[in-house]
Amino acid sequence: MMLDAKVRRAQRRQVWAHRLGRNRLFRTLGPFVPVVLLWWIVAEAEVFPSAFFVGPDVVLSEFGELIRKGILPSYLSDSLIRLRNGVLFGLLIGIPAGFVVAMSYWARKLTWPLLMFFQAIADIAWLPIVIVWFGHSLTAVTFVIVYTIVFPLMISIVSGVEQVPRDLVRAARSLGASRFRVFTDVIAPGALPAVATGIRTGLGYGWRALIAAEIIIGASGIGFMMFDARRAGDVTHVFVGMIVLGVLWYALDALILAPFERSTIQRWGMVRTAEVAR
Amino acid sequence: MSTLEITNLHKEFVDVYTGETVTAVGDVSFGIEQGEFVSILGPSGCGKTTVLNIVAGFDTQTSGTVHVDGRAVDGPSPERGVVFQSFALFPWKTVLGNVIFGLRMRGVPRRERDVIAQQYLQLVGLEGFERKFPHELSGGMQQRLGVARVLANEPAVMLMDEPFASVDAQTRRKLQEELTGIFETKRPTVFFVTHDVDEAVFLADRVVVLSARPSRVSEIVTVPLERPRQWRAALDSAEFRHTVTYLTDLLAGDEPGVPADVDRA
Amino acid sequence: MAPPPSVSRPGTRLSRRLKATFWFFIPFVALAVVWIITVEMTGVAMRTFPQLNDVRDAIGDLWSTGDLFTHVGSSLRRVMIGAILAVITAVPFGILLGSNRWAAAFFSPLLRFSVALAGIAWIPLATLWLGYGERAVIFIVWNAMFFAITYNAMLGVQRIPTELWRAARSLGTPRWRMFGEVFLPGALPNVVTGLRVGLGYGWRGLVAAEVVATSSGLGYSIFQAQQFYRTDVIVAMMVIIGVLWLITDRALLAPLERRTVERWGMKAVTA
Repeated sequence: MMLDAKVRRAQRRQVWAHRLGRNRLFRTLGPFVPVVLLWWIVAEAEVFPSAFFVGPDVVLSEFGELIRKGILPSYLSDSLIRLRNGVLFGLLIGIPAGFVVAMSYWARKLTWPLLMFFQAIADIAWLPIVIVWFGHSLTAVTFVIVYTIVFPLMISIVSGVEQVPRDLVRAARSLGASRFRVFTDVIAPGALPAVATGIRTGLGYGWRALIAAEIIIGASGIGFMMFDARRAGDVTHVFVGMIVLGVLWYALDALILAPFERSTIQRWGMVRTAEVAR
Repeated sequence: MSTLEITNLHKEFVDVYTGETVTAVGDVSFGIEQGEFVSILGPSGCGKTTVLNIVAGFDTQTSGTVHVDGRAVDGPSPERGVVFQSFALFPWKTVLGNVIFGLRMRGVPRRERDVIAQQYLQLVGLEGFERKFPHELSGGMQQRLGVARVLANEPAVMLMDEPFASVDAQTRRKLQEELTGIFETKRPTVFFVTHDVDEAVFLADRVVVLSARPSRVSEIVTVPLERPRQWRAALDSAEFRHTVTYLTDLLAGDEPGVPADVDRA
Repeated sequence: MAPPPSVSRPGTRLSRRLKATFWFFIPFVALAVVWIITVEMTGVAMRTFPQLNDVRDAIGDLWSTGDLFTHVGSSLRRVMIGAILAVITAVPFGILLGSNRWAAAFFSPLLRFSVALAGIAWIPLATLWLGYGERAVIFIVWNAMFFAITYNAMLGVQRIPTELWRAARSLGTPRWRMFGEVFLPGALPNVVTGLRVGLGYGWRGLVAAEVVATSSGLGYSIFQAQQFYRTDVIVAMMVIIGVLWLITDRALLAPLERRTVERWGMKAVTA
């Protein structure tokens, strides 16, 4: 029947569209294709003067040039090392401190208002005094990143521990778990999604702090490259820098953050309390 | 001509994961007269909610027709108001705001709609709660508000999708009695989906029994109970018990029994 | 004899309030004491770290010369203009995306890419395009907030239960009125979250942009102080920045949440 065939075709189309929609690679990269095309067209048509706006072809060739000269790899590794050091120390300090504040009544009472206040002092505002202390050095940048990570992480952990259902703790206690075992087997894993959320928030800020620090005090790094190029009026390098930063964050998100969140939250079927874009 | 006329309704959908075609509704035909209360009864997963969604205009059929007052259904419309299992009240609107919502959408002047709203709030026993927000009401009160919100719009047919499934047992009995009371005074046309045999019989003039998936109408049973109805009297009456037993057997005969692939789970 | 409970209740509430205030300030007092003693004992130079009363004097100077008001005023003005522009543009855009499945699927990855870049990373380009000055700073604040609010507004619309959509449609809501009647209030919990996250980014973007692009504002003056090793002014400015943020949070965002999301009993998503 004519109608029937039409319906079947529509159904097949639906299945095909769904499969394509489920393909992660297509779903995440697909939308960039028309955007890059549009970018190219706008650049080719010279809607904006080329001193302000260059096309993807120019950016790509400059990108290759910067890699060949070794400038981009060395700046990129500088930025990544700073980020890595900052994150590492941030986690080492933030996670234990967060659990102490979450578990201890007195620690909580004595530090909570301070936590709120220090969280409120934008990390970038720490840059000047940090420069005074450490000069224009790697330590200065690391300090600021550590600062941006520690506070959101601690605050997330406290709320995560609070959200561990009281009945779980009671169940564990009545099954004979000691206080220490309740912490290691119930509270710590229960708060893990909050740790993941905290790391994501912290990294979101830390990332910006890194770029800001490199722009303001840097002598190397992607942020420095962009600002240096801006001073020279070289728009191509600015574009290259922004794309590298975007891709870097995307990779960080896809390869490290998202798998970590999936492994803690989705596997246990725990509802995410704060799914927020950062 | 019936107020609601369903003819050879058939619904297939494609399971997008396996690519297989699944028939949700096999072949359903029945009508509801003006001012009649009809329960649609069937085992869970038999597609009765799918039928309701098609009548409401939320979903489209693969073939067959649905007519309300002689017009073919095309998308959601205020002539087919829906009472949801999850209440679906607007949390950002007060009790009054929820009741007058449909009237506002139709552009009824403020003074007029306040009078209508008061009338329906009184009908469901919510006068004095106008300024409360839905989350401040009990489950039973929330669903009464859901009913008032639809009735205030004076729909040609009120569609109810297991409206009392998420309230506790005592409240449910009370709400059912209140619903018959409202029905007896206002005489709306009601399309009531449920899987509870007692509820279906107690409320309805006729019960449309659907078979398990793919659903067909296996029988339409007229309920031989006088109105007004009350639970105490209904439970005492032989007719009520007979109808319930008959329908229970009908549904049980349709149960697939022990599934063949039970150990695959 | 014990007073009747109706009389004692307001009293206990007052004393509970006092107690809460007391415990709120104790940590700050403790911090101040530690600060004074540490600086006193180590004898650290003003070039490295100021004594508490130096900071107090710095704030006093800033107040009496009026510099405080110039800088705070110009910073707040920039944040406000940027924030208002961001809300006006991002909320409708995000809701539009959220109400269309295909638009949402298409823009999601693009938005995530943009959220990662938003704000500070745009400073070089913004100053190139708009020149050094006011416009570049406002652009950065707008940019920092726009993507966070858009993304969250989109998520918010997608989170509205299907039943509410359907209820509104079957109560006769025309498509064009769905925006104001259902999408906007339904997405509000997430919009507020987006606003909070976005303001956080915007505030940071502001400070960074002011360093680079202007000669007034908090960011400019704090880095100016760094040039002269005026740690007293630096710390004073840090305190002011913290207090301003707390005021923004308590006086703007919290009441907005209380009046809408909490009042309606919708679960507030807190970051």
